[in-house]
Amino acid sequence: MLDLLWSGLVNVAQWKYLLPLFAGTFIGVIGGSLPGVTITMTVIVVLPFTYGLDPLAGLAAMTGVYVGGSTGGLIACCLLGIPGSPASIATTFDGFPMARNGEPGRAIWLGVWASVWGGLLGALFLVFLTGPLAAIALEFGPWEYFSLFVLAMAMVAGLAEASLLKGLISTAIGLLITVIGHDPIGSVPRFTFGSGFIGGGFPFLPVLIGIFAFAQIMTDLEKLNLPGGQATPSLAGIKLERFSHLKVNLEIFRQPFQLAWATIVGLIIGILPAIGGSASSVMAYDQAKKFSKTPERFGKGHPEGIIASEASNNANVSGSLMTIMAFGIPGDAVTAVMLGAMTIHGIQSGPLFISQNPDIAYGIYAAYILAHPCMLLICLALMPLMLRVTSVRMAVLAPVVLVLCIVGAYALNNTMQSVYVLLLFGVVGYGLVKLGFPLAPLILGLILGDQIEINLVRAIMTDANPWLFLTRPISGGLLLAAAGSVALAVWQHLRHQNRVAEETPDF
Amino acid sequence: MSIGRDGIAGLVLLAISLVLLVKSFQLPSLAIVPVGPGFYPAIVLAFMAAASALLVLQDLLKRRPTAVADAPAAPPRNYRLVVIAFAIVGGYIALLPLLGFRLATVLFVGTLQAALGWPQTARQWLVLAAIALGTGLVSYVVFERYLMVLLPRGAWTGF
Amino acid sequence: MARMSVKMAGAAALISVLGALSAPAMAQYPDRPVKMIVPWAAGGDTDNIFRPFAVELQKHIGQPVVIANVGGASGTTGAREAKAAAADGYTLYAVHDYIHLTFYAGISDVKYSDFEPICLVAATPSVLTASSKTPWKNWAELAEDAKKRPGEITVGATLGSTSHIFPAMIEKAANLKFKFVSYDGLAPRMNALLGGHINLTDSNLTQKGKVEAGLLRYIAIASEKRDPESPDVPTLKELGMNIVYEVARGVMVPKGTPAPVRAKLEEGCAKAVKEPSFAQAMKLQGTRVAYLNATDYAKFLAKIDGENKVVMTDLGLIKK
Repeated sequence: MLDLLWSGLVNVAQWKYLLPLFAGTFIGVIGGSLPGVTITMTVIVVLPFTYGLDPLAGLAAMTGVYVGGSTGGLIACCLLGIPGSPASIATTFDGFPMARNGEPGRAIWLGVWASVWGGLLGALFLVFLTGPLAAIALEFGPWEYFSLFVLAMAMVAGLAEASLLKGLISTAIGLLITVIGHDPIGSVPRFTFGSGFIGGGFPFLPVLIGIFAFAQIMTDLEKLNLPGGQATPSLAGIKLERFSHLKVNLEIFRQPFQLAWATIVGLIIGILPAIGGSASSVMAYDQAKKFSKTPERFGKGHPEGIIASEASNNANVSGSLMTIMAFGIPGDAVTAVMLGAMTIHGIQSGPLFISQNPDIAYGIYAAYILAHPCMLLICLALMPLMLRVTSVRMAVLAPVVLVLCIVGAYALNNTMQSVYVLLLFGVVGYGLVKLGFPLAPLILGLILGDQIEINLVRAIMTDANPWLFLTRPISGGLLLAAAGSVALAVWQHLRHQNRVAEETPDF
Repeated sequence: MSIGRDGIAGLVLLAISLVLLVKSFQLPSLAIVPVGPGFYPAIVLAFMAAASALLVLQDLLKRRPTAVADAPAAPPRNYRLVVIAFAIVGGYIALLPLLGFRLATVLFVGTLQAALGWPQTARQWLVLAAIALGTGLVSYVVFERYLMVLLPRGAWTGF
Repeated sequence: MARMSVKMAGAAALISVLGALSAPAMAQYPDRPVKMIVPWAAGGDTDNIFRPFAVELQKHIGQPVVIANVGGASGTTGAREAKAAAADGYTLYAVHDYIHLTFYAGISDVKYSDFEPICLVAATPSVLTASSKTPWKNWAELAEDAKKRPGEITVGATLGSTSHIFPAMIEKAANLKFKFVSYDGLAPRMNALLGGHINLTDSNLTQKGKVEAGLLRYIAIASEKRDPESPDVPTLKELGMNIVYEVARGVMVPKGTPAPVRAKLEEGCAKAVKEPSFAQAMKLQGTRVAYLNATDYAKFLAKIDGENKVVMTDLGLIKK
């Protein structure tokens, strides 16, 4: 196996593969860093080129996009407070506060290095354990998925900052948003009040960007052009600090367990189809907070938060590569496009793929591994430029970022509907922030809402026996963990409340 | 006992969840699916209603410091600007399918920039125009040429 | 006064550059890229068929054909979007049989007759596929077991769509009773089938790799004749059921698109489907090239629509 991997690495290190890989990674980093431009959109851009190329060259380019995109998202998170791609949502929670505290360089590099280490750690699993790990995905029936999502919801309790109750309401609002529109089973219109606009439903991406972008930009505008003019909107005027790569890496490896655990969370979520990087980022963040010695510092620029989120979303990529390698089943839109590219070249996907096409399979592994140093190089080259964003005036930054968000929402489905949804949830998101409702639980509700319902109904349709949720071992274990998670969160919350006196909200 | 901001938010959310809860029971069900389309929403809405009611209760029971001698004044906020910005974004989105992406974007970027910081000199006006044009052009070229996204054409302008 | 003139100058500059941005008036169709709405996500079967097609089509109409994936709500979001698009030939609609089904199931108001047909492109025969965790090696064993346990054999399907109708037709022809479980899209169905969470599903020949590895079993194919690439899979006709079920994919444009524009597209389509590279791409998709010109496609659509209405009525799924 090692010799196969070695020959794969040597193979991909040729210019004809390295160049597409590098180009793909570059496009991925750029696409990922622009809010509204998704990794899916970026990978589709690469698709036409792959028709003419040697299949491995095309697949290497796509792998590069995937890895680069999963990392690029953190740039917008740290510098704008808006996730560049859904997979880096949780990086916003600590990356942006850290940047605002005057350390944008540290925030970004913590993220980039955590991505590299998380991704490479994920590569170990990818190369050596693809078979057995992918087999886990098959064990997950609707019961297991449902219980997993209940566990994820239970984690929300850990993400609520000031008020547990408001966190729960936020979750419910997130879930409610996914319920509106046509139901996912029989397409019955729900709560549409006869409106075609509502009937179209509220897709995840425009809601996410709307909530984050407007909540961020509008709260910044509140402080703009005031007569006193004391507040600094955005990051404008913050002087770039000196940071050292060595220090950042030491910070990451000071807690090897946190890094490993975030990686594993990302990996598992990646293996399970239809969940995706956004959930792994939020869940790893929550796990880091639970295991941290200093949970109260999360949300205020804590390095552990950035590390967890970024390590997990890159590991998530290796997880979703596993299922297409092992079974030819795509877990998300990006791997679906990769699979399409394989089909076009006549490569039969499925369980025999690795043994029948070892050169391509190990080529993909090698591309995945080599994408990480490429990504690091690209970030090194781009970062001085990217950090310049911090010196742009709010009056210029706000319109440009908003145009990007709006185009991104439009491009998702090529319809104005998504743009209207963006604006609607921009207003809603701003309102919720002003009323002190935390956004993180809402986002998790939004990510999982659909899937919870679909799997619950599927389970009931397959077998009417409700006890199966408890008696199936994986499902029962997950529900047990959910109960434990709630207990732990409540305990941490009480301890935290005793420690700090109640702060008056900044309003 | 007086009601605060949380209480009002809770009441609004409670009202919404109750209305939708009633609606969820009226949804038609399919013969082939054992639980109707209202089954899951009802669970979510019941949960939301309960949590909202608790929030109202919590707010009503909260002891409020009765008019402390001018508590530290809240920092001033420029809400006017927020409203203007929302209005400009709304206008942009409304004009997008009418004027087409390129025209609407140049107008939007120009207008919002001017609203956030009114240019004083000819040079500043030029910079503003250049940024507006640049954003429109670059985003158009990048998305249309490289990302293969056909941006909205104007119904009025055909452009 | 000075400030006023600065403003004026700024405004004038803005307007003049805006003017420079606008393009000259329209010329011969097509003079700009054409959008093709695929009502499902990128990487799905429909997307995988129309992307190679778009590559061929743009060679023959002389402008890029850009795929726009408008997914959501069982493909009806894309249908609505296509119907509402300007009838100028710059929006094409890549469609398959679901358009008839979603209309009769009451999911959407968009009907096939809201569009003008251009051409039929390809047809993908459905294959009844079983999980390897089931004991059945062939149709006879499956039918025997199903007779003993009515309503217990689970079938993964997108409710009210082609993957639901096809097994339901078998159900009726063989006088069996299945239990349908909602799984939207081929990828989730395959996942559930491999894990044994469902017993049966509708798939196609693209899943051959998993069959060869022994994780799935093809029970029967719904084409006229056996497929030369998979000669071991019997047709439903051989098994005594008169069912031919192919997912037929074609191109339509919004109603009211001018005739010369349609003629141009039809001509491009006729040439595109004859390209050997397209045939090769379709073979890899387990699909046959099935060209029909606009007139024949219109007849075909009318016939299929009638058949689907009957099937939906029989199944009790009809709302309109």
